[in-house]
Amino acid sequence: MIKKDRPRITIFYCINSFRQPEKPILEDCDIKYIKMPCSSMTKDVYLLRAFEAGADAVMVLVCPEDACRYAEGGKRARKRIEWVRGILDQIGMDGERQLAIYNIVSGDDKAVKEIIKKTLEGLKEIKKSPEKHV
Amino acid sequence: MNDITYSNLHKILSEGKFAVTAECGPPRGANREVITKKLELLKGNVDAVNVTDNQTAIVRMSSIAASAQLVDAGLEPVMQMVVRDRNRIAIQSDIMGAYALGIKNILCLTGDHQKFGSQPDAANVFDIDSINLIKAVKDMRDKGKDMSGHELDVAPQMFIGAAANPFADPFEYRILRLAKKVEAGAGFIQTQCIYNMDRFGEWMKRAVDAGLTEKTYILAGVTPLKSAGMAKYMNNNVAGIEIPDGIIKKMEDTPKEKQVEEGLKMCMEDIARLREMEGVSGIHIMAIEWEAIVERIVKESGLKK
Amino acid sequence: MITGEQKPVQEILEIVKPYKNILILGCGTCVKTCFAGGEDEVAVLASALRLAYKRDGRKIQVKEFTIERQCENEFIQESAAEVAQCDAVLSLACGAGVQAMAKRFEDMPILPGVNTTFIGIQETEGIFTEECSGCGNCELANFGGICPVTRCAKKLMNGPCGGSQDGKCEINPETDCAWNQIIDRLTKLGQMDNLKKIIPPKNWNTSLSGGPRKLVREDHII
Repeated sequence: MIKKDRPRITIFYCINSFRQPEKPILEDCDIKYIKMPCSSMTKDVYLLRAFEAGADAVMVLVCPEDACRYAEGGKRARKRIEWVRGILDQIGMDGERQLAIYNIVSGDDKAVKEIIKKTLEGLKEIKKSPEKHV
Repeated sequence: MNDITYSNLHKILSEGKFAVTAECGPPRGANREVITKKLELLKGNVDAVNVTDNQTAIVRMSSIAASAQLVDAGLEPVMQMVVRDRNRIAIQSDIMGAYALGIKNILCLTGDHQKFGSQPDAANVFDIDSINLIKAVKDMRDKGKDMSGHELDVAPQMFIGAAANPFADPFEYRILRLAKKVEAGAGFIQTQCIYNMDRFGEWMKRAVDAGLTEKTYILAGVTPLKSAGMAKYMNNNVAGIEIPDGIIKKMEDTPKEKQVEEGLKMCMEDIARLREMEGVSGIHIMAIEWEAIVERIVKESGLKK
Repeated sequence: MITGEQKPVQEILEIVKPYKNILILGCGTCVKTCFAGGEDEVAVLASALRLAYKRDGRKIQVKEFTIERQCENEFIQESAAEVAQCDAVLSLACGAGVQAMAKRFEDMPILPGVNTTFIGIQETEGIFTEECSGCGNCELANFGGICPVTRCAKKLMNGPCGGSQDGKCEINPETDCAWNQIIDRLTKLGQMDNLKKIIPPKNWNTSLSGGPRKLVREDHII
């Protein structure tokens, strides 16, 4: 088991819902950002490969459901997150805590900060159960 | 209907007498005593007793074996046979064997799907359906040949019955299907238990209008309700049983300790009404695992003295 | 089309356990359409397996490859080079594809990653239904194009049974009663007379019951 001091989070985001900040949002974790022109570009294999590359948690940020520029993007992304959560659970990971999708209004950095904090707490919870070590 | 009668039940019906049949479920094991006890409660109270065949797909002692036990004890069985578990080879074989053991009545059924039973992992058969089963038994009896055309040394002379469900869908088509069963050779019909008298009355009228009651004897099914809970359970969970809200409410409004009596009272009222209905030739009492009550029902309703 | 569902990941992990170097081979036809074993599904499964092994601290080499059809030599040949480099092939094709591979690569373990289920259609997006059981003796003309052998849970020729309620089958409130549908369809077509006669028992000799079947077209054999 690789000992990591800082949790690693990969954030996939739709460019209409979020803009990558210049300064880090939080100091106590490493965040990798991947932008998408539309939330519907969220593909199951990209999410899994993010975990393979070392992410402890993956977050997907999309626009509010009725505000999707391409109408269905967020809805489709949500379905795929559900599917991949199932796979993660099947291999003994914690689908609910390690992978999540959030509807964000563009510019609401405060909300994003809260979500990241919540994710980090979730990761701490997982560390407490030995069978679900990340 | 012709003059030959194939069994005592057949004889009673052909003489225009109102027949009474009941039901006996074999045990979940090889215990003959269970059957012995049940038939002691039924003997003398009914004209024939249906022996069920792995009912609800729950594995029980075979219908043919339990029916043979009834024959030995002097009580006439109606051997039930479902097509779920046997192919045409086993079916024909069992019919010949049953007749050789003195079994003279057969009720030809489809059978509940194995999903409901004790072995949902089993492969089902359904090689032939119940209508083709009726026809097979009729051809064995009347033509003396099996399904392959082979001449039988002794042809089983059985009285053939089928089930009918006036409450299943589609309602309009049910009479057409009943007609097919009669055409295939069903000499008697036993219906699913009735609570909705009006709907049953409608169905009987259609059967009479279609001339079917001149070709087959219809026995109306009844099951006394023991509680409001039983009424609700049956209505919601058992396929083909419809209990009108009024009846459920009546049971619910009755204090718990009086519900059994209320259920019996309603059953007797239904029997009285059924006896007056045109085309109804008898009653089939399905008192599930309550064979002890049959004597009382039969005596208090005046079906037997 | 043939429908199937990918086996649960835990089961697949058990199946590939003895091997260190596997090739996940997808098929671009039926299993792709039902999202069980096409190129995309191969990629997702490969990733999931690698993740699972990583978590357990074990090593596995997982290669990915997809061919158009796993039931035809012409396409199977294209996978030969990839197959030669692994210890075992986890095929995401239907049972026919897995066996076709096994026949061609006799020295290579070919493992199934999909549970093949039925011959059916995509009814609407994401929903597939079983339609045909290959009885070898099609009587759809009698039944208004609705198969009682496949779609009636009891294979009745003279249905429906007493368990049909509100147009649904007794085995599942979401399953349509095929006989109810047949009656509706024949009524629409004005062909209810088809049901007046007793339809005789089916000859099962032409189905799987009669033994595994073979089609030989002499006119195509040189």
